[in-house]
Amino acid sequence: MSSVFSFQAVSDGIVMNFRKGSTFGSIKKAVALHTSEAANFFTGVNLYLNLSGLEFAIEQLEELIELVKGYNKVNKIYFTARKIKNDKKEESYSDAVIINRTLRSGQIVKHQANIVIVGDVNPGAEVVAGGDVIVFGKLRGVVHAGAGGSKTAQVAALDLNPTQLRIASLIARSPDDEMSSDSQAERAFIKENSIMVEKI
Amino acid sequence: MAGKTIVITSGKGGVGKTTSSANIGTALAMNGNKVCLIDADIGLRNLDVVMGLENRIVYDIVDVVENNCRLEQAMIRDKRYEGLYLLPAAQTRDKTSVNPFQMKELVDKLKEEMDYIIVDSPAGIEQGFKNAIAGADRAIIVTTPEISAVRDADRIIGLLEAEGLRDPEVIINRIRADMVDRGDMMGIEDMIEILAIDLLGIVPEDEGIVVSTNKGEPIALNQSAKAGQAYRNIARRIMGEELPIMKLEKDSLLTKFKKLVGLS
Repeated sequence: MSSVFSFQAVSDGIVMNFRKGSTFGSIKKAVALHTSEAANFFTGVNLYLNLSGLEFAIEQLEELIELVKGYNKVNKIYFTARKIKNDKKEESYSDAVIINRTLRSGQIVKHQANIVIVGDVNPGAEVVAGGDVIVFGKLRGVVHAGAGGSKTAQVAALDLNPTQLRIASLIARSPDDEMSSDSQAERAFIKENSIMVEKI
Repeated sequence: MAGKTIVITSGKGGVGKTTSSANIGTALAMNGNKVCLIDADIGLRNLDVVMGLENRIVYDIVDVVENNCRLEQAMIRDKRYEGLYLLPAAQTRDKTSVNPFQMKELVDKLKEEMDYIIVDSPAGIEQGFKNAIAGADRAIIVTTPEISAVRDADRIIGLLEAEGLRDPEVIINRIRADMVDRGDMMGIEDMIEILAIDLLGIVPEDEGIVVSTNKGEPIALNQSAKAGQAYRNIARRIMGEELPIMKLEKDSLLTKFKKLVGLS
């Protein structure tokens, strides 16, 4: 890839920085090449085009907009001329996000640290955490704790009855015959390379 | 191996596409075929629940299309039959996550391994439907004896023809002999006359469907259920056997009497 542009990751997307003094022709060529080679590069994230230090005619800007449309499924495309500060601070493992509602089928919550849910997790919903998952309610959906590979992660719920429970790279699924009806708080963790469940 | 891809569709929702897909797939596997069921209803998946395989899902069809996993990794083997597989839909995504071209590629790959690929189409005529029919060799339309379902079925037949899927066949689901007799329900002949396509089978209304759906066990496994028999017959017709269409059974005098005195 040419050095006409470089990438910088920010909390909600990727910034495309263009080298100062690049000609429009070289930018156009490089972007056209990149869209054809890596059309899925920005799938699902925001794309910030940082044009600081460059001068464009309005027609050229329009041409550039047409070009970046070649990327598939970009969340949002922004044009900016400011220096973008990376506001993503290194989050420590002990950080937790608190979800104050019930997760319904099709809803997914992902977080790199711990997740606490005050509500239920219904079948068809998914919780993916880098650390622990704690549910103050019924856990019926799919849960993945330690998604980054942490084997010390655990899952706890007031009523632990997930469709599937994953910790790090291990997977356990609910028994095929009807699940137990007792709703006692339980936690799941890895012991000797298998998932154990115990009452709290 | 050159498998056949069959799409099960209807236009209207709630007529029994998923139930039919699960049962036809199961019945084909009972006859020794290698079968893969594909749930094309991305975002509102159900086929996994009806098959009782929900807790086995790790990867889904969107993961396959986006190359997050290999096709074999996403295919769930049925707990009852060796040769039966399910490729589940994603629940946290929507219909635009897959396009017809990708779907056709996927189906063509599966054809090398399978005898039959059954695609469970979502309701509607939008992208989900277009995905489901991409790569299909044959179409089965499910309808019920209601004018709205028949209207939608007719519309679907037209759309399938426009896509080059000729000669679809119809399954008439949830038919009730007593109501047809009283003239309260459309009869089979009336519906075939409107739709003017071949009848693949009829499935009588059966309370057992609700039970089997909730249990995650297709009714085709139940040897004593009428609806199970109907689906097993449909599977054999798909395999090329000539079977007479099931007679709509009216209650015999004895069962009528039993019902009257509250024994049945």
